Amino acid sequence: MDRLQVLLKHVSPRNGHLAGKHSMANEIASPTSDSDVVVVHGVRTPIGRAKRGVFKDIMPDELLSHVMVAILKATGLPASKLGDICVGNVLQPGAGALMARIAQINSGIPEAVPIYCVNRQCSSGLQACMNIAGGIRNGSYDIGLACGVESMSHRSKADPRSIGDISAGAFHQDATRDCLLPMGITSENVAEQFGVSREKQDAFALASHQKAARATRLHLFQEEIVPMQSSGMLVEEDEGIRPNTTLEKLAHIPPAFKENGTTTAGNSSQLSDGAAAVLLARRGTASALGLPILGVLRSFAVLGVPPAVMGIGPAYAIPAALKKCGLSMDDIDIFEVNEAFASQAVYCAEKLGIPPHKLNPNGGAIALGHPLGCTGTRQVVSLLHELRRRKSR
Amino acid sequence: MSEFHTEASHGYSVQFSPFLPQRLACVACQHYGIAGSGSLFILDISTHGLKQVTRRSWGDGLFDVAWSETSERLVLTASGDGRLQLWDVTQPGPPLQVYQGHEREVYSVHWSQTRGENLVASGSWDGSAKVWDISSSECLFTCRGHEAVVYSSMWSPHIPGCFATCSGDGTLRVWDIKNPSFARLVIPAHTSEVLSCDWCKYDEHLVLTGAVDCSVRGWDLRQARHHVFELRGHDYAIRRLKCSPFQRSVLATCSYDRSVRFWDFVQANPLVQTIEHHSEFVCGLDFNLHIQGQMADCAWDETVRVYQPACLAPAQAQ
Repeated sequence: MDRLQVLLKHVSPRNGHLAGKHSMANEIASPTSDSDVVVVHGVRTPIGRAKRGVFKDIMPDELLSHVMVAILKATGLPASKLGDICVGNVLQPGAGALMARIAQINSGIPEAVPIYCVNRQCSSGLQACMNIAGGIRNGSYDIGLACGVESMSHRSKADPRSIGDISAGAFHQDATRDCLLPMGITSENVAEQFGVSREKQDAFALASHQKAARATRLHLFQEEIVPMQSSGMLVEEDEGIRPNTTLEKLAHIPPAFKENGTTTAGNSSQLSDGAAAVLLARRGTASALGLPILGVLRSFAVLGVPPAVMGIGPAYAIPAALKKCGLSMDDIDIFEVNEAFASQAVYCAEKLGIPPHKLNPNGGAIALGHPLGCTGTRQVVSLLHELRRRKSR
Repeated sequence: MSEFHTEASHGYSVQFSPFLPQRLACVACQHYGIAGSGSLFILDISTHGLKQVTRRSWGDGLFDVAWSETSERLVLTASGDGRLQLWDVTQPGPPLQVYQGHEREVYSVHWSQTRGENLVASGSWDGSAKVWDISSSECLFTCRGHEAVVYSSMWSPHIPGCFATCSGDGTLRVWDIKNPSFARLVIPAHTSEVLSCDWCKYDEHLVLTGAVDCSVRGWDLRQARHHVFELRGHDYAIRRLKCSPFQRSVLATCSYDRSVRFWDFVQANPLVQTIEHHSEFVCGLDFNLHIQGQMADCAWDETVRVYQPACLAPAQAQ
């Protein structure tokens, strides 16, 4: 009596409720198409402190290989299905093209799968995701892997050789000279130019540590962190978080870049080692292979800003990305904005009017660390796992 | 008020003719639609009440009815054996055409509302909606995506080739026949089964849903993350809802709580009238397009009623 059962459900609301098994609840009210670019899964290593931390003796290819192996294992995807791999990296020579290929082959990914690297500074790892998404969208392939990796134990931004070979033309204009400014000075510029006080920066840094400490305590990173062996011990948690820091402690740290400045080691991101990986696919392919869908790429935008205040990029790129997909700030439940420095993160949040509870809910680079090439990929990983936990978008 | 007794048949759906102001069609089933045959009643409203013009029967239950928008003689029915029937109400005998394709009960059928199209949308317990070309008797598209039975399929009165479906999976989906392989919109509308949906006749972006959770929700398709309003008052599942063809914010609902309710969703107290003139589940409901304020409904108590609820009386000139 099938019909009777269907009708009985109508008159017995308790039986009719679908709560819990409602598989569409997460699906956002937007058009879905087989050609959408979706994120299948994302993982990362714990983030270690550079030079004296848990991964000080680990090479970047080892970090990278660790997340490559982990994401393929977690999704059960045969490596031969990958159409391309893009790796974000900043400090390795040539953005680590050689290192990445070695990591790939050591991960058991067939030689026939190509790999390349990209450097867009702090957002290299994010750019890697968008490059793979672009390849899927233009039909070059249906599935690709985006990664980000950095070992700041082994390479330093401060190394003068990292500037490269530049002509005297670098000194012809203010803007080109500004390109050579140390990052910390650009942070001082942002703080000065836009009036972001030391107190605001320290309070922001404190919040980042508190949010990250809470997330670690509640094991919220369990789904994204793949524990890694290093020097005989298993590293499971991010190393840079200081759960016990206070405003007083932060206030005592001297300025790091400029006399009477406001940017300190406490309210800047940390030098770190880490890697992250994100598997992207065409929705139709993901469905056909039975892969889960963690998120959908709706829009992406990049914009340049004056080199002297380089950290304010998100304040310009976020509205541009929203405009492209016809969404407003209110439609967005969580913003991941990089915390290279508290100054630029505070400025971006204030300029855009991001409510504190929507911004980097589990901390950012100030607390977790900032392995340059890895961070953008790490943000996608952290963002999508948190969105899924909150059932928001 | 006039009433008609659908002897030994339990009413499932009524619709006024878009051509003749006095005519309506009603489908009803033996044994509450759980087993047995179905009947199509064509009724005329006269000074002596509701008169049967003709009655047709089908071997399985008939669950929904839709008048043709192109000919006053044609009417479509949806049946429990997965078929649609096209009837010429002026000719006796079997249906002119039977459309086969659904694998389970067809629970809804609706004729397209925009000019230049002769399309029909049907929704079935097989989880799919189908679009049919009545003139060529072909199934043009099968729309898949719902994860449970489809209860209703309604064409947009504004956007050609666009229709909405609702389902036991709790979602409202909007389809465009230009690309029928996936839903243009998937709206998780209720956490219970959604039994009915309809388009506002005055706002092309507004779709209303009625569900087992006893609520009606309004959805702005441009911004469908949250419902724009919610109406509560029924005590049991809402079986069908229809938007007024005359007033932008007025709608009617009928329910398993045996009542028919009228709502004006812009009012502070949106429930404007409750009518309890049936003794069983009320399943069918329609506004007369020609006579403002006239309603018809049908219920499992074997009666079809045509009436003028006080709340729909045209405003008196001041």
